[in-house]
Amino acid sequence: MSKILTVVRKEYLERVRSKSFVIATVLGPAIMSLFILMPMLLSETGKDEERIVGMVDPSGQWLQPMSGTIEKLELGNVRLQAVGNAEQPADQRVQALKDMIQSGELHSGLVLGEDFLHEPQATYYNQSVSSLVVRNEVLRPALNQVLREARFREKEVADGLFHYLIAGSQWQSIVITDEGEQEQDDNVSFGMAFVLIMIIYIMVIMYGNHTLTAVIEEKSTRMVEVLLASVSPEDLMLGKILGIGGAGLTQFAIWTGAFYALSRRGVEIGGFSLDIGFLTPMILISFIGFFVLGFFLYATMYAGIGAMCNTVQDSQQFHTTLAMGLVIPMMLLTMIMRAPDSTLSVVLSLVPLFSPILMFMRVSVSNPPVWQVALSWALLLVSIWFSSRAAGKLFRLGILMHGTSPTWGSLIKAVKA
Amino acid sequence: MNAQPSTLPGPGQPLLTLRDVSKRYGSKVAVRSVNLSIPRGSIYGFLGPNGAGKTTAIRAIMNIILPDSGEILFGDTPLDGSLRDRIGYLPEERGLYRKMKCREQLSYLAELKGVPRSEALQRADSWLERMGLGEYGHQKVDTLSKGMQQKIQFAATFISEPDLVILDEVFTGLDPLNIELLREMILEQKEKGVTIIFSTHMLAEAEKVCDSICLIEGGELIVDGTMEEVRRDFPLKSVQVAFADQSAPPEDLPDVLHREFKEGVWRLTLAEGSDPQALLPRLMDSGPVSLFSANRPSVGEIFLEAVARHRGEVRS
Repeated sequence: MSKILTVVRKEYLERVRSKSFVIATVLGPAIMSLFILMPMLLSETGKDEERIVGMVDPSGQWLQPMSGTIEKLELGNVRLQAVGNAEQPADQRVQALKDMIQSGELHSGLVLGEDFLHEPQATYYNQSVSSLVVRNEVLRPALNQVLREARFREKEVADGLFHYLIAGSQWQSIVITDEGEQEQDDNVSFGMAFVLIMIIYIMVIMYGNHTLTAVIEEKSTRMVEVLLASVSPEDLMLGKILGIGGAGLTQFAIWTGAFYALSRRGVEIGGFSLDIGFLTPMILISFIGFFVLGFFLYATMYAGIGAMCNTVQDSQQFHTTLAMGLVIPMMLLTMIMRAPDSTLSVVLSLVPLFSPILMFMRVSVSNPPVWQVALSWALLLVSIWFSSRAAGKLFRLGILMHGTSPTWGSLIKAVKA
Repeated sequence: MNAQPSTLPGPGQPLLTLRDVSKRYGSKVAVRSVNLSIPRGSIYGFLGPNGAGKTTAIRAIMNIILPDSGEILFGDTPLDGSLRDRIGYLPEERGLYRKMKCREQLSYLAELKGVPRSEALQRADSWLERMGLGEYGHQKVDTLSKGMQQKIQFAATFISEPDLVILDEVFTGLDPLNIELLREMILEQKEKGVTIIFSTHMLAEAEKVCDSICLIEGGELIVDGTMEEVRRDFPLKSVQVAFADQSAPPEDLPDVLHREFKEGVWRLTLAEGSDPQALLPRLMDSGPVSLFSANRPSVGEIFLEAVARHRGEVRS
């Protein structure tokens, strides 16, 4: 036992004292906050830039009210500009519109039918898919709004009744937590959940890879034979994983501490206030749980693979394949976020390789039953048990093996032997 | 942590015993039912050519590989983890953490052998002093020269004050001055009562330090005993001869088992019971003899004869 602690101490201190640890600890939050701020900044700058949409409106009655609606409802920084004049035939005006889009004079163009009030046909000319945002978020809502208004007027609905008919509903969202109720800010909740998931993802990959390279380094410097004369391979592996994982947790503790300190002072970054309310005990505990278990699962696999490889290059193919276990759930995130409690989401989030990310995602954005979280932890523990036994086997077998580089086939054969 | 020294056998009694130890890698037999015992307080030469199975046997002793069969005793108890803490091991493939400071490195390796940290740091300082590396304690290993790194490795082997030390090809890659320094230190440790297994393929080196030897060839033990016993079992004679005119001894000399020409001198190994003096007239017929001496056979000569005998036995 004391030998494991000696190994843990060495591996832990070596990492915590290293320059790269300090740099990652400082830069980590900066990169993380970029993840939150970038989308906000991007949408901000997008609004600032004025986009000119050319319009062919034969009846001449739609452009003015649409511009007014866009402005009133703050739909976006879009300016409508009439193309040609009423004397010109419609097809000539459309041709001019197309030319102006191609020459870059116009961002895109909107062509309305002659009797738009009764046959509401609109054609949208544009150069790229990204313009569809303008169509969906600006032009269509504005046009629908003014069309509805025009039709009410046509039927001579009284003004008071008219406003009553077109008014939409008013919404407010409240989150209920153990600490009480709170107005919900969608951006913050999703942002925070996303940041924590990114932390799990990056830290498991990064520290898992640390384990891999640490094992390979000991092999290539022939240090391992000296060590194995004093420690059993199993103890050496365990000590290494605990020490490296401890360094990861320390890093997270520093971040959380700094985060608390900043949020107490009410520091705002780029108009985005740090919201500590999101970090409920449930989320914090499951974060640590999923990070620790996820790290252990991947680190044991990485350690076993490292023991079989002679160089970091040898290990790359295995590293890439293993990392897929983390990349795939990242790609599924949006899907899970839309329906966190669907059967598919539940099943996927219970798969041990995925659950550090997917189950944690569900905990942060929804409120999954406790048994599901407990089950995913239990499944993780069972997988860790299996993978550490397999890794122990590979370790004993591979750690003194030099020469041939392994394949997946030879790894599986070695584990089964 | 360390077992009580009272479990140690008396001087000259077997400290480490291998019984019927075998290890095969796939179809290749690395060690075939080796039996040997190493007397306490001796320097025991583990000799044989490269690839003979020396390192495999040592790794089995250190539990780095598991033997397929056989048992290994320390005193009269089967060797286990805590007893292994009393064995120091310097592997043929040297290994140190390149980015770790020398003092940290030494104390870490001592701690892994069960030495408490404060004690380990003290011992690290004193070993650095003894090795003349006192000022390098806080430098990283990879800033040191190769010779210095070897000394650190050597210190790391002895820092846990083990009862038994296994040195695998300890002099490889060292200059003569450092070889001399380490040889003195090995003898000094022996004086302190440390038992040493000295594994090497350089037989001449072994002859200078060993009290007992074994010879391993093709995974099998073919000779085992004290130097006196081995010499008694192989009562060979050895003759050194040189000619002033560079001529060679005649091909048809009787009783010559083996001949070797090195640095202007011929070394002839004679069969048991032959008389070196009887050779002299024949040699003088070949040319003007400038050097003639009759010696004890070298370990190398014994080894060649042992291999020849062993092969004869296997054949018959």
